[in-house]
Amino acid sequence: MSKPRVAFFEFTSCEGCQLTVIDSLQTHIELLDVIEIVQFREAMSEKGEDYQIAFIEGSCSRPGDEPKLREIREQADLVIALGACAHLGGINTIRNWQDQEDVRRYVYGDKADWYETYPARPISAVIPVDAVIPGCPIDRHEFVTIVKQLLQGRMPRIPDYPLCIECKLKENVCVYLRGKVCLGPITRAGCDAICPTYGDGCEGCRGLISNPNIESLKTVLEEHGLSMEEVRAKMTMFLSYQMMELEREAAGNGD
Amino acid sequence: MGFKIMPKAALPAWIDRLCADYRVVGPKPLHGQYIFGDIHSAEELALDYTTTVLPPKKYLLPPREELLRFEGSNAEPVIEEDAPPTVVLGVHTCDLHAIHLLDRVFEQGYADQHYRAHRENVVLVSIECLKPCSEHSFCKDMGTLSADEGFDLHLTDLGDDYAVDIGSEKGEALLEGLDAVRDATPEDYERVNHVMAEKWPRFPYRLEFDVTELPSLLAVSYHSEHWDELGERCLSCGMCTKVCPTCYCFNVVDEVDFTLSAGKRIRHWDSCQIDEFAVVAGGHNFRPTRAARQRHRFFRKGKYQWEAYGLLGCVGCGRCAQACLVHITPVDTFNELYRRRVLYTARRQEVHT
Ligand code: SF4
Ligand code: SF4
Ligand code: SF4
Ligand code: SF4
Ligand code: SF4
Repeated sequence: MSKPRVAFFEFTSCEGCQLTVIDSLQTHIELLDVIEIVQFREAMSEKGEDYQIAFIEGSCSRPGDEPKLREIREQADLVIALGACAHLGGINTIRNWQDQEDVRRYVYGDKADWYETYPARPISAVIPVDAVIPGCPIDRHEFVTIVKQLLQGRMPRIPDYPLCIECKLKENVCVYLRGKVCLGPITRAGCDAICPTYGDGCEGCRGLISNPNIESLKTVLEEHGLSMEEVRAKMTMFLSYQMMELEREAAGNGD
Repeated sequence: MGFKIMPKAALPAWIDRLCADYRVVGPKPLHGQYIFGDIHSAEELALDYTTTVLPPKKYLLPPREELLRFEGSNAEPVIEEDAPPTVVLGVHTCDLHAIHLLDRVFEQGYADQHYRAHRENVVLVSIECLKPCSEHSFCKDMGTLSADEGFDLHLTDLGDDYAVDIGSEKGEALLEGLDAVRDATPEDYERVNHVMAEKWPRFPYRLEFDVTELPSLLAVSYHSEHWDELGERCLSCGMCTKVCPTCYCFNVVDEVDFTLSAGKRIRHWDSCQIDEFAVVAGGHNFRPTRAARQRHRFFRKGKYQWEAYGLLGCVGCGRCAQACLVHITPVDTFNELYRRRVLYTARRQEVHT
C-alpha cells in the first residue's frame, strides 16, 4: 500500500492546531510511517501539490480565501477541517455581530482600505468538508485516532454527546457547584472535559452537539446569576456562527 | 449468623492487612465531595461519607474496559480479564441493592464473562447508613435503607466499635487472625438494636404513595403530558445515567494501532439520554425526542426492570437528582405522575356520580 499524501493549509487562525499536529508527530513518530506529508508550511519548506488528504486550519474571512479553498477541494480526495476556526469559524466569528467597517478600522487603522474582509465563516460554508477535528486547539489523541480511521478507509466518528458525560466519568466537581458556569451540557465531548477538570467552565470550543437544548441551558445560566448579556457573551465566544445559523433557521421556520 | 465486634481502634491495622493481600478501594474525599478510590491506609478512608459521585458499580462494570485484543484477521483474539482481587469498603445499602440488580442482569441466562470475572474477585464490605446522605435520597421509600444479604461483611457504627455482620466465607476470610475482633455479647445486640431504632425516624418518606404501586402508576402514565414538560427542560446531558448505580447500558468499539489490523475491543458506558443512543443502522432514531428518552429512563427505573428481573431499577440513592442541572428528579417525577393520576381519577368519579 503506498502511503497517502497529506497536505496542511491555513487560513484565518493562530496556527495552534498545526503546532498540535507537530506535537503529535513527535509523540507518535509512527504516523510518518503511514502517511507522507507533501506540504506543511509550519514544519517544512518542500511543497508538493499532489496531495490526497488536505487538512485545513482557519476560517474563511476574506473573498480572496475562496478560490484557494476551491482549488484544495478539487485536488484532495478528502478535506478535513482542523480545529475550531475551520470547523466553526472559531473566535474570529465574534466580529460577525459587529459592524464590519468598524472592525476593519479597529484592526487595521488607517490601512483599513487595503484589506478586504467579511464575516468569518467555517470552511464548510464555502466547500464541502468530509470530516472535522474540533477544538481550540485540537486534541492530539483525537487527531491520531482520526488519522487512523481515515487510513482504514472509515469516516471518522467524533462524539456527538455533551461534555458532561466525560466530566462525570472523571468525577470532577461540576463547576456550577463552585459558582461558575459551563457550556458543557450543549458542547460536543472529546477533549476529556479538560477545562472543568482544571476548574473552569467550558467555553464551547468543540461546537454544539446535534440537538442542543439551548433554551433550557439559558435558564440554568440565568439561575446561576448570569445576566442576559453575559449569557450571550458566553454563547458567542466560539459559537457565534452556529448560534446565528440557528437563529436564522428559527426565523425561517417562523414564517 | 451472629455478628462480631471490631473496635474502631483496630481499623488501621485491619486496612494495612487488607492492603497486603488485595486492592482496597473505598470512599474518600475529593474537592469537597466523595469518590470511591484506592485506599492505602485508614487515614484516606472516609467511612462516614455522604454519597459518592459515581457508585461502586465502577469496580464491576468499569466505565471503560478492554474486552479483548486482536492481532490481524487470522489469529484468535485474546480475551482480557483484568480483575484483581478487590475489597470494596464502605458500600452503602442502596448501592448493595443496586449490585444485586446488576448481578441478575449480567448473570441471568448468558452470563457476561467480564462482569463475572470482576464480581468473583470483589469482596463487598458494606456499612449501615445512620442518617440520610443527602436531601435527594429516598432509600426508605425504595426499601433499600438496610440489607439482609448481598454483602460479604456489613458494618454498623456503634460509636467506639463496629458491629460486623458476616455475610459470606469471603467476608469471614477478611477477619481471619484479627485478635481485636470478638464475638458479640447480649449487650452488643442491645446496642445494635438501639442504633437501628434511632436511625429509622431520621429518614423521611418522600414518595406520596407506596412504592409497590410504582409499576402500575407508570403503566397508566405512558401518555402523560408530564414527559413533554420534562423533555422541554432536559439537557440530554446524560449525567443522571452516568451517576446511577443501576444503569448498565454500554457500547462496544474497536480501536486499532498503526498496523490498522491489530488492536483492542473496548466496552464503555453509554446513556439512553443522549441523542445518538437510539440511532440504528440506516440512521433512524427510534427515540428522537427528549420527552421519549426521559419517559424511557423512568420506565426503566420503575417498571421495565421490575418486569424483567423482579427488582425495581431505582434504589433511591439520589445521585441523579444531585447531578441534574435542571432539577429533574425521580421523587418529583413519580409524585407528579401520582398527583395527576389522583386528580384524573377524582374527576372521572365526579362525572360518574
Ligand atoms: S462542569 Fe460543565 S461539563 Fe462538567 S458536569 Fe458541570 S456542566 Fe457538565
Ligand atoms: S472543555 Fe470546552 S472549551 Fe475546554 S477544550 Fe473542551 S470543549 Fe473546549
Ligand atoms: S441529568 Fe437532567 S438534564 Fe441531564 S439528561 Fe438527566 S434529566 Fe436530562
Ligand atoms: S435513578 Fe437516580 S435515585 Fe434512582 S438509583 Fe439511579 S441515580 Fe439513584
Ligand atoms: S440513599 Fe440511603 S442507603 Fe443510600 S447512601 Fe443515602 S442514606 Fe444511605
